[in-house]
Amino acid sequence: MSLVTDAFVSQIAAVEPWPENATLYQPLKSEQVLLSDNASCLAVQAFLQMCNLPVQVVCRANAEYMSPSGKVPFIHVGNQVISELGPIVQFVKAKGHSLSDGLDEVQRAEMKAYMELVNNMLLTAELYIQWCDEATLEEITQPRYSSPYSWPLNSILVLQKKWEIKRKMKAIGWSGKTLEQVYDDVDQCCQALSQRLGSQSYFFNKQPTELDALVFGHLFTILTTQLTNDELREKVKNYSNLIAFCRRIEQSYFEDHDRDSTGSSMRLSKGPALP
Amino acid sequence: MELRFWGGDWGLPSVHPESLVVLTYARFVGAPLKLNPVDYTWSSIQGFGPILISKDEVTTQPTNILNFLRKQKYNADYVLSAREGSDTLAYIALLEEKLLPAMLHTFWVDAENYSSVTRPWYSSHTPFPLRFYLPGKMSREALNRILVTKGKPPLYSLNEVEAQVYKDAKECLNLLSNRLGASRYFFAEMPTSLDAFVFGYLAPLYKAHLPKVQLKEHLKQLPNLCEFCDHILSAYFTQNAEGSSPAGQEAIDANLQKLTQLVNKESNLIEKMDDNLRSSPQNRPQKLTALHPPASTANKDSSQFLTP
Repeated sequence: MSLVTDAFVSQIAAVEPWPENATLYQPLKSEQVLLSDNASCLAVQAFLQMCNLPVQVVCRANAEYMSPSGKVPFIHVGNQVISELGPIVQFVKAKGHSLSDGLDEVQRAEMKAYMELVNNMLLTAELYIQWCDEATLEEITQPRYSSPYSWPLNSILVLQKKWEIKRKMKAIGWSGKTLEQVYDDVDQCCQALSQRLGSQSYFFNKQPTELDALVFGHLFTILTTQLTNDELREKVKNYSNLIAFCRRIEQSYFEDHDRDSTGSSMRLSKGPALP
Repeated sequence: MELRFWGGDWGLPSVHPESLVVLTYARFVGAPLKLNPVDYTWSSIQGFGPILISKDEVTTQPTNILNFLRKQKYNADYVLSAREGSDTLAYIALLEEKLLPAMLHTFWVDAENYSSVTRPWYSSHTPFPLRFYLPGKMSREALNRILVTKGKPPLYSLNEVEAQVYKDAKECLNLLSNRLGASRYFFAEMPTSLDAFVFGYLAPLYKAHLPKVQLKEHLKQLPNLCEFCDHILSAYFTQNAEGSSPAGQEAIDANLQKLTQLVNKESNLIEKMDDNLRSSPQNRPQKLTALHPPASTANKDSSQFLTP
């Protein structure tokens, strides 16, 4: 988004209130979505729940291609379409809903820094595991990612995506890493998050922020997803305060809303429960 | 230990951010490194970033080198609490995600800066045939990194991402400035690895004479970050930029430690001898109170004599 359209969008956004029929699009939950995409979708859902903004979750097989940035999830509000957590947070802020208004400047810097830590380490590690680890790629990623399409499109799309991710890993210097090193990175990241959280209920005391939504999205997905082995999950399970944190957000933002929310978020909370 | 890195210019010990991070950290902890800047010869070219060679072990990448130095007991972060350690990790991630793309663009992708500053500098520090290839390769890698991490597949286009990349970087500078506030270093009074990282990324931007100065102008509007750079430059990199002073300091420190140990031993001996002499029970409490203060003052005195 260029600066002009950015300004324009926020101008328009400020005028219109949050509509009733806002929609969030994401890939099919049970047969298509991958670990990293599910984490991002869950993070946005958690963020909108925390802002108390109603949104209808719609699963589409081609959500990735519908999204303006090529990444899921995206929301359709009024006549605008916005994708990914960062821009969605900005957009929602322009509408007058913000979770981080109560923070001072140092805390805001800290929040952004930790959000980048999650993107830099957890998200990259998830992408690495699902696209660069051959066992996971063959057993999980390939069949799931290509599930909506028939031959030969399915193999072409998988190859295209695989090359895209490998190119990214090479550019950021991760292509030489082994799976063990990636697990170590995840552990280091979780340790940092765990120490930062300490015994607080949210990262910044009583009120949740977008950082909490992002961390919840990733950790909850890692904890509840069955991969080829349990190593990734075990890394997170070592930190009891992070598990308690996930359970707390699950209970307060996903279980209470079951009645007035739609099927998808219900399935989400009724999915594999936390251990 | 030997460090190979891109050499200095523009009043900096190194013009290459990653090399500068390692150099700064080594200076903070006083690690005795044999500094070996990349020059015109073939033997010095082994890669694009800083390389640390210790006996047979070769370490690349700033984070790995810093970890290696920490294992060698050169640790600048031992004063930090666990939570501050986590903060360090988070802020380094912030730098890498938000500031690095704009830095790469400023130095390696922006046509004017690249052809008038970056390419001439790097090609003049590279041996003959390689000088026509290496800067171009580094530039292509920088462009690739920006596009792949920030661009949108399948058509990666630079125009779309340029504005966003600079916007992110300016926001990152603002956040760092807010975080630093009025203090001298990011965590209290001692420099830590986060300071080395921030300095390494900011100083080349701050000191380079570039035709296009979008990001530099923004940095100059944040006086505390500029002061931060100036302070580290003057406190750790004045004159003796060849690494003699920290090593010398280290040697003096080691000698001092040995001498204090000797003095301690001696005072212990005296104590024992005294014990033997005055074996009568009623004297013992008196002796304890009488003997300890002189022992400690002797210690202090000796260390005072030793300091130059």
